[in-house]
Amino acid sequence: MIEFLQQLANGLAQGGIYALIALGYTMIYGVLRFINFAHGDVFMLGAFAGFYVGPWVLRVSGLGPSYAGVALVLLAAMLLCALIGIGIERLCYRPLRDRPRIIVLITAIGVSLLIENVGQLVFGADPKSFPDLVIDRALVLPAWWGRLSALTITLSQVLVLGVTLLLVVLLRYIVNRTRIGLAMRALSLNPTAAQLAGVDLDRVIMFTFGLGSALAGAAGILTSIQQPSIDPLMGISAGLKAFIAAVLGGIGNLPGAVVGGVLIGLIEALVVGYLSPTYRDTIVFAVLILILIFRPAGLLGTVQREKV
Amino acid sequence: MTPPPLLQLDKVTVRFGGLTAVNGIDLAVGPDELVGLIGPNGAGKTTVFNVITGVYPPTDGTVAFAGLHLAGRRINQIAALGIARTFQNIRLFGNLSVFDNVRVACNLHRVTGPVQSLLRLDSFRTDEAAIAQRAEELLGIFNLLRFRDALAGSLPYGDQRRLEIVRALATRPRLLLLDEPAAGMNPVEKGELVRLIQQIQKQFALSILLVEHSMQVVMGVCQRVVVLDYGVKIAEGPPTAIQNDPKVIEAYLGEDHASSMSHH
Amino acid sequence: MTSRSNQAFLLVLAVLAVLTPLAGGISPYYYDILIGIGINIILAASLNLINGYTGQFSLGHAGFMAVGAYLSSWLTLQAGTPSGPAGLALFAAALLAGSLGAAVAGFAVGAPSLRLRGDYLAIVTLGFNEIIKGTIQNAEPLGAQRGLGGMGKYTGFFSAFACTAVTVLVIHNLVRSTYGRGFLATHGDEIAAESVGLNTTRYKITAFTLGAFFAGLAGGLYAHFKQFIHPEAFGFTRSMDIVVMVILGGMGNMAGVCLAAALLTVLPELLRYVAHLELLPGWLRHVAENRMIIYSLLLIVLMIARPQGLLNFKPAKVKS
Ligand SMILES: Nc1ncnc2c1ncn2[C@@H]1O[C@H](COP(=O)(O)OP(=O)(O)O)[C@@H](O)[C@H]1O
Ligand SMILES: [Mg+2]
Repeated sequence: MIEFLQQLANGLAQGGIYALIALGYTMIYGVLRFINFAHGDVFMLGAFAGFYVGPWVLRVSGLGPSYAGVALVLLAAMLLCALIGIGIERLCYRPLRDRPRIIVLITAIGVSLLIENVGQLVFGADPKSFPDLVIDRALVLPAWWGRLSALTITLSQVLVLGVTLLLVVLLRYIVNRTRIGLAMRALSLNPTAAQLAGVDLDRVIMFTFGLGSALAGAAGILTSIQQPSIDPLMGISAGLKAFIAAVLGGIGNLPGAVVGGVLIGLIEALVVGYLSPTYRDTIVFAVLILILIFRPAGLLGTVQREKV
Repeated sequence: MTPPPLLQLDKVTVRFGGLTAVNGIDLAVGPDELVGLIGPNGAGKTTVFNVITGVYPPTDGTVAFAGLHLAGRRINQIAALGIARTFQNIRLFGNLSVFDNVRVACNLHRVTGPVQSLLRLDSFRTDEAAIAQRAEELLGIFNLLRFRDALAGSLPYGDQRRLEIVRALATRPRLLLLDEPAAGMNPVEKGELVRLIQQIQKQFALSILLVEHSMQVVMGVCQRVVVLDYGVKIAEGPPTAIQNDPKVIEAYLGEDHASSMSHH
Repeated sequence: MTSRSNQAFLLVLAVLAVLTPLAGGISPYYYDILIGIGINIILAASLNLINGYTGQFSLGHAGFMAVGAYLSSWLTLQAGTPSGPAGLALFAAALLAGSLGAAVAGFAVGAPSLRLRGDYLAIVTLGFNEIIKGTIQNAEPLGAQRGLGGMGKYTGFFSAFACTAVTVLVIHNLVRSTYGRGFLATHGDEIAAESVGLNTTRYKITAFTLGAFFAGLAGGLYAHFKQFIHPEAFGFTRSMDIVVMVILGGMGNMAGVCLAAALLTVLPELLRYVAHLELLPGWLRHVAENRMIIYSLLLIVLMIARPQGLLNFKPAKVKS
């Protein structure tokens, strides 16, 4: 039982990270109706932003490993990734706005491959060890938890979940309570009507890319705090898992992305814990295929049909 | 005794979410009959076509063709039963030539299969030759043979509409559904179209259901007219009676087609 | 059996037979590249049926290649890799079995994926590619993570290019027939295709099955040329290579796709050469070492500026 709960705790922390990346996929899909293949690579760039900016921020601010330091590095990485995301959209996707989806998809694959391979050239292909933004340790659980106090829960896991939760709440506020959030929702509900109602397409798309990429950047930092070894190809697998999470939850659906992310994290942890790590990817892909066959709209999504 | 209708819609309703596009419609088209389906924009005419051809399932009611219920059949199976259509917003295969657009619609009546086509057997070649000849004949009727090898998407608008009719005929239908075939045509072209519709109806022994805004065309060819408004059938009868029906005139009032109702 | 295209095929075989002794004379390095060109043309032409003509988007072609490679290798290894005529007969049978196995895999991927639109399908096929790779990595009889070696070197110039000719001719003839125009109609407009009586689902499954069949053939040829195969050789990178060939040649443009396959087989070799040129600046040599940077830039620029493909000289047919 403890073993099982331990796997759940591990899966939850990983799932939070998938959820953050999945939110970006889903938001961008909502406004542009396409899968930003390069999104996982933005996540990787977030990790590398932390790798380069982290030590500098900690030194200049004189903070050393601390929560404030984490917050600063997190903000820096989110800002950088937002700019990168906006740049990608501006340079590569905007010229293709009215082209067939397949063309945009191929471009996105191109952007993804470009970031990965230029990343290998610039950062080096070998894994780097991420600086210690906080000193990670296993938490001493209070005695009144009873048998549960035997669980190993690390500071970084709590941190990851806390920050994820905070960002999700913040995102919810932006999407539901601000003008630009309203415009985003309008655009994903009915693009033509939204534009007729005066929604500035370019601005909303830019904002969405910025927001989604910032979340991916945050996920990059959070991952690296948990597993401090980063490399330029780390975005491929994380990106695919998060995409699967978005599809599982129902692409275009924000709560769905969170639910999907957490579920994928849990499934992975259970496969690793009870089956074998070599089956992890295979099973996650099998989940994707099953969901697409039996519930193509995802757990929380709705089907749309073509008007003839 | 009148013969049983070829196509029979029985209390058909189609809803899209909260919107009822077609509301409890009964409609019958007999053998060799040419029926007009008219009504203001958004009345549900195209939706009726989509239900007949299997693009949308009816929310309620049944569609029967030649005595067979169409429920649960795929679009291509319904086409194979002998219903062909054109689309209001033209849906040609823009990536294929004019000839290939017609040829590909002859697949329903192909004798040889993919295996023969891979081995290029003589039977395959005979079959292909027959299909080519038939496609060219049909193109000829509509004076489109001159565009034979042009990309379908590059044709002038009116010719694209005619090509859609040719493509539909290539499936050898018993019932042809035409969705605003005269849209965008000038009066001369419309006159020509009326003549062609009458010609193909006789030549291929077709029943035709025609959606059209142009009264010139509707009055020119239809034996009977059904009027829809807000998804409901509001009138049915011979063209001249329909034209003077106050309910119909009211439905069209305020519509830009009111003017086309008054003169023909 | 006397149609023009059948005659053309016999002619190609005759030419190949004449060229075979010549091909045997060239240096092993160039011979490698030559066979590589043949195999890549098979892969690209077969993916062109799926991605180009039928308008699906498969990112997992290397998975089907893996099925063909492993199945045929396992068979020839089980049979003890005989030589002489027995070996050739065995090889032919193993190639066929490998291709059929890949076709079954193609059917299995195609059937459930059909309801999915372009971008979803891309990810699902990528997923299937990973699942096939992962299964091999966990399969001890297939060498698991160590790879599988010791196959006889059955693939030669004649067998490779005869298979290339068969593949290209079969797909070319197929898509030009009245039946085959249905693949393009499915691509052009599914609802319109259905409404003229075409079963678009069946066309898509057929495209996947037949495309996978030939990818399996390429896998079998590859395995019995390299005499060693490893799961990593059939991953996403290989699938991407094939996709780039199809896009560069122009989706649905057979001549361009074959040409692109040949060019992209030679390109890495050229780049390797460039990477060793002392007079070039260091970063450029690094770029040259990593062909993926060039491929990805090519993809982006092509899609923005020339989506019909670099080697396609027909007018652009951009659907809106
Ligand atoms: N796929 C669909 N989804 C939602 N609403 C639809 C769809 N198809 C048609 N409608 C709506 O149904 C009504 C009838 O449309 P239609 O049949 O196209 O009318 P008509 O052809 O008579 O102009 C319209 O209000 C239209 O917006
Ligand atoms: Mg209409």
